Amino acid sequence: MNEAIHPLARKTVVWHLAVTSLVLILMMIFGVIMLMNQGEMISITPQWFYKIMTAHGTGMVGIAALGGTAILWYFLSKYVKLNPAILIVNFVLFLTGVSMVLIAIFVFDFSDGWTFLYPLPAQSAKMYGAAGAVFFLSGMLILGIGFLLLYMYLAARLTAVYGGLGKALGWDIIFRGKKGYGPPAAVVATAMVIITNSTALLAGATVLAASLVNIINPAITIDPLLAKHFTYAFGHIFANCTIYMAVIAVYEVLSEYTKRPWKANKVFLIAWNCSTLFTLMIYTHHLLMDFAVPKWLLIIGQVFSYANGLPVMVVTAYGALMIVYRSRMKWDFASSLFFLSMFGWVAGAIPAIIDATIVVNHVMHNTKWVPGHFHTYMGMGVVAMIIGFMYYFNKTEGNQEHRGIDTFTIALYFVFFMGLVGSFLYAGGISAPRRWSEHLPQWVLSDQVGAVSGIFIVLAAIIFTARFFSGLRCVGSQVPYQKKSAAG
Amino acid sequence: MYQQIAMYTTVFFVFLLALAFASVYGESKRSGEYSTIQEKGYKIRKFYFLGLIAIMAFATVMTLGRLPYDSNQAEAEGLNEGIVVKVTGIQYAWEMSEETFKAGDKVQFDVTASDVTHGFGLYNENMELVAQTQAMPGYTNTVYYTFKEPGTYQILCLEYCSAGHHVMVKEIVVEPEGGASDE
Ligand code: HEM
Ligand SMILES: [Cu+2]
Repeated sequence: MNEAIHPLARKTVVWHLAVTSLVLILMMIFGVIMLMNQGEMISITPQWFYKIMTAHGTGMVGIAALGGTAILWYFLSKYVKLNPAILIVNFVLFLTGVSMVLIAIFVFDFSDGWTFLYPLPAQSAKMYGAAGAVFFLSGMLILGIGFLLLYMYLAARLTAVYGGLGKALGWDIIFRGKKGYGPPAAVVATAMVIITNSTALLAGATVLAASLVNIINPAITIDPLLAKHFTYAFGHIFANCTIYMAVIAVYEVLSEYTKRPWKANKVFLIAWNCSTLFTLMIYTHHLLMDFAVPKWLLIIGQVFSYANGLPVMVVTAYGALMIVYRSRMKWDFASSLFFLSMFGWVAGAIPAIIDATIVVNHVMHNTKWVPGHFHTYMGMGVVAMIIGFMYYFNKTEGNQEHRGIDTFTIALYFVFFMGLVGSFLYAGGISAPRRWSEHLPQWVLSDQVGAVSGIFIVLAAIIFTARFFSGLRCVGSQVPYQKKSAAG
Repeated sequence: MYQQIAMYTTVFFVFLLALAFASVYGESKRSGEYSTIQEKGYKIRKFYFLGLIAIMAFATVMTLGRLPYDSNQAEAEGLNEGIVVKVTGIQYAWEMSEETFKAGDKVQFDVTASDVTHGFGLYNENMELVAQTQAMPGYTNTVYYTFKEPGTYQILCLEYCSAGHHVMVKEIVVEPEGGASDE
């Protein structure tokens, strides 16, 4: 069962991580520029602000997905033989899509946000020329197709090895009373992500194609509310799935460090099935302020957004606490980051759940509260998992060791990330809107706190990345190839 | 009010969470038999799970009765004499059929847009967001608000609508009850 990862796939994983870490730094710098502008420390034009905002949003979600995919592939390879060509195709399509997005933004001034809410791109195309919107939308489409191909391949592999996605999600244990444990966590999570993210990508492809058609022939339109449903079915699920991919590393690595099994028992499987179902349902919490949506659908949005917190709070994060408890685990860069990432995930879920409450959403939707909560679970959750995985990779595939500077950098990153998300949440609490290039005087202080925090986060990210690249030099140098244990 | 509740609740639960993680970190230095830890852990988890369900059920019951969507509640409070205002968002301005109100006015905003989606965000004099709805072309969303206090209110665009999004602001004046002052 314990297959070695294909050498070509290992190399591709390195490429994924290298691109992820470099783009991360650049996008973080973009984030700091936005905050400095809102905080009146520098001044850029609104056009530039919104271009940078579009790049930051698209880029961050993109690399979170890229890093998550690397993690998924790496660990799934232990249990299922995978053809590295698919990973490479995905990577190439990713880079192609990203290049087109960048051309759209920086050559053709596209600035309609990573959520490209119809009919905004069409409207901009009318006013500023179609090239920007066409490049952006087709770039996203190509990127999406790359992921869709990957998931279709993975679905085929899981079906071949486990007899279907249902079995991979442990249905025979949940429904048929089969005894014992389900497939490895990596397989369960992969099945969940295949189901939810394929749905997301199909919804995304539909609305992207419809938007493109509408730009080419304005006589063909799509209903804006329907388009918004598709857009958020895509955006919400896709962004969520980054963490469901990355968390595979937490299962694998913490259980390796603590030398304790993290098995898919019945409760675990039920939790992942609930996550699958709820993740598909709850994107409607993005439409709570669209009063035209049927009320029952919006109430579902609230109730199931609450419920969606339960699997992570009661099973995954709780499981992480249990496995670490009295384990005499070795605390180094990888284990610390994975442990903290579970904190980041749950901490981000708390303000998210509160905002999914309709009465709260009524006065907090599209305020800075929203970036406040998703920066918590993206920055301190997904990104922490990805960085943790980079260290883990270098440690077990090469011979990187924990140093004092790593402890320092992790502390730096988390302390200032708390500062950043605190400043966002506070700004949301005093009603500062999100996505405003200029801020009123009463909001400026929070922006400045955020900007200063952001600068230290960038510093931490640079050190992480430098350590990653220096550790890479020894990866794959042992002949014959041997993967080390992380626990020692 | 909801903003304060949201902030305090978040701080409270994140603090509890941090406590849990910190204590497990502290305990990680000791060693224990995993099967006994699991046994105990699963027992505690039952209560933890039920506790979370209880909190969520409580929040659901407390909030689902006050949804901003329908006029039921507004009518119960006697909104039938309310003022109906038509609001249209357009890059980058708000067009309104009525712009001055009196304190005590119960207003029904019928909100739509004529180009792209905007967000109708009503801010009071202290720049607190007090009500909102989306302004989407082809749809009319109705949101109710009763102006209890006189003052200058503002409508801010709360859905990104391209480069002039942040200039899409409109002031509306709510005069004191019982006649306009002529300041
Ligand atoms: C140094 C770290 C970071 C800083 C300073 C930063 C800053 C910002 C700022 C200022 C905004 C716009 C807020 C507004 O609407 O007014 C933003 C939006 C956003 N950020 Fe970050 N960010 C950082 C890290 C991240 C990370 C790690 C992720 C995800 C992996 C991320 C994902 C996003 C997304 C998706 C948006 C939404 C863009 C939009 O509204 O279109 N950010 N960020
Ligand atoms: Cu607008």
